[in-house]
Amino acid sequence: MCCTADVSYDDRMGSAERKAIELQVINKACQGVTVESSNSEPALEMGSDTGREWKFSELIADPGVRDRWEKVRRYFFLRESTYDMTHRCNIRCDGCYYYEGDKQHAEEVGDPEAWRALMQAEKARGITYVVLAGAEPSLVPELLHVCHAEMPLGAIATNGLRKIPAGVGYKIHISVWGNDQSSLRVRNAKNMLARQIENYSGDPRAVFVYTFTPQNIGEVEQVTQLLEQHGCRITFNIFSAPVGYTGELRHTPLSLRQTRRAMLTLLERYPDTVLFSPYSAVAHTHHLGLHDLYGCSYPRRNPSTDIGLGRSFRQYRTDLHWDRAAACCVPDTDCADCRHYAAGSAVVTARLFRHATDPDTFNAWLDYVDTYLAVWVTGYAKGPNLCKVPVPPPGFDLF
Amino acid sequence: MAVETDLDQMILSIAQIMIDELKLEDVTAETFDPDIDLVDEVGIDSMDLATIALVLRDKYAVRIDEDDYPKLTTLRPISDYIHRKLSAS
Repeated sequence: MCCTADVSYDDRMGSAERKAIELQVINKACQGVTVESSNSEPALEMGSDTGREWKFSELIADPGVRDRWEKVRRYFFLRESTYDMTHRCNIRCDGCYYYEGDKQHAEEVGDPEAWRALMQAEKARGITYVVLAGAEPSLVPELLHVCHAEMPLGAIATNGLRKIPAGVGYKIHISVWGNDQSSLRVRNAKNMLARQIENYSGDPRAVFVYTFTPQNIGEVEQVTQLLEQHGCRITFNIFSAPVGYTGELRHTPLSLRQTRRAMLTLLERYPDTVLFSPYSAVAHTHHLGLHDLYGCSYPRRNPSTDIGLGRSFRQYRTDLHWDRAAACCVPDTDCADCRHYAAGSAVVTARLFRHATDPDTFNAWLDYVDTYLAVWVTGYAKGPNLCKVPVPPPGFDLF
Repeated sequence: MAVETDLDQMILSIAQIMIDELKLEDVTAETFDPDIDLVDEVGIDSMDLATIALVLRDKYAVRIDEDDYPKLTTLRPISDYIHRKLSAS
């Protein structure tokens, strides 16, 4: 059985030592993972200390933890919304979210003054952070300049084939779907990684976002090495199927486990290049999706308009309109399969209260938030992970 | 632990927690309007409310369920919520 192990403990061991041993055993057990064993569920849970109730003041009593808490809470003012910029793209990828559903047919508003007015209106209703996405924002640089001038914090999701002007000071998320052979197959683009690196090597705005599919798990180390050689940073995403998608990119329980192991291995081997945490790996490779684990708070799944994302989040189409029923960070994703890095950044982060149960779980949450901020906020530097081992999401098993 | 059983005193105590945690200026516990909308007029969001909930859990040993946050957007219902749970326990 995959990832099942008998572990004996020395009574004198602390919980962190025990978990480190458990992790080694799990990694070793997973090395021999086969398709035939994919239906096996692990018997081992690496739960945190839940033997007593911890006060919040105790959880932040350690100076290092308190500093991290104070560091991340300074960003609680972030209120995001997302915007499709254009219906054009310079490549066409298998499984692309933008070209699912109706949003691809929306009229394209290319008038910079219309975008300026939208940004000003967004600011007036409390939005402090913008995510500029579909289909390919680098094709409309004049709009990016306008948005940045009005709203200084944000991120752009791009395929990285066309360099975004230096004056646009947003974080730039460059999508990577494997090595260049895989990109040619899935995205119909030649020399993709080489061109992305040429555009963004050494650019402090850039974070390469490696989207794991069942097919490209074995390529991620090669890509990470290459990015490290060129002074680039990488974080991880999980392919989450669009509604109705039946292609080969949809994850299986086996591929999720393999992905988790790859993430943890790379985190250990390339700590200066990989922006991630052990808990990020757990949250995004669990057999349950983010909604089942944490309860998605985007309007698409959350009817409340009183507070939080349900109140403030909007996803604008290229016609500058939005639809509450479709509003989430990546519309047209199958919610049951959603493990998007973008979704987790809001959904996991929002669940502060339920993670404040014990030191490991709280520290794991802090690592998750620290990672999210380093990936999404210009100038935010990630600190070392406080919790070095995977802990389960509150109320669930590790896998 | 001494815990207020008087609702008015509890409102003052929770107001002080909010002032400290949210670093509010130009307001004291005594001048804090218990009916001011914390979201619309003070500008707090769900993360701030979660932080307040944790500090209140420490002080009163009362858990504020995440699902209840939308109902707790002014000081008065927060105080009522805590007071009611303490009275029931």
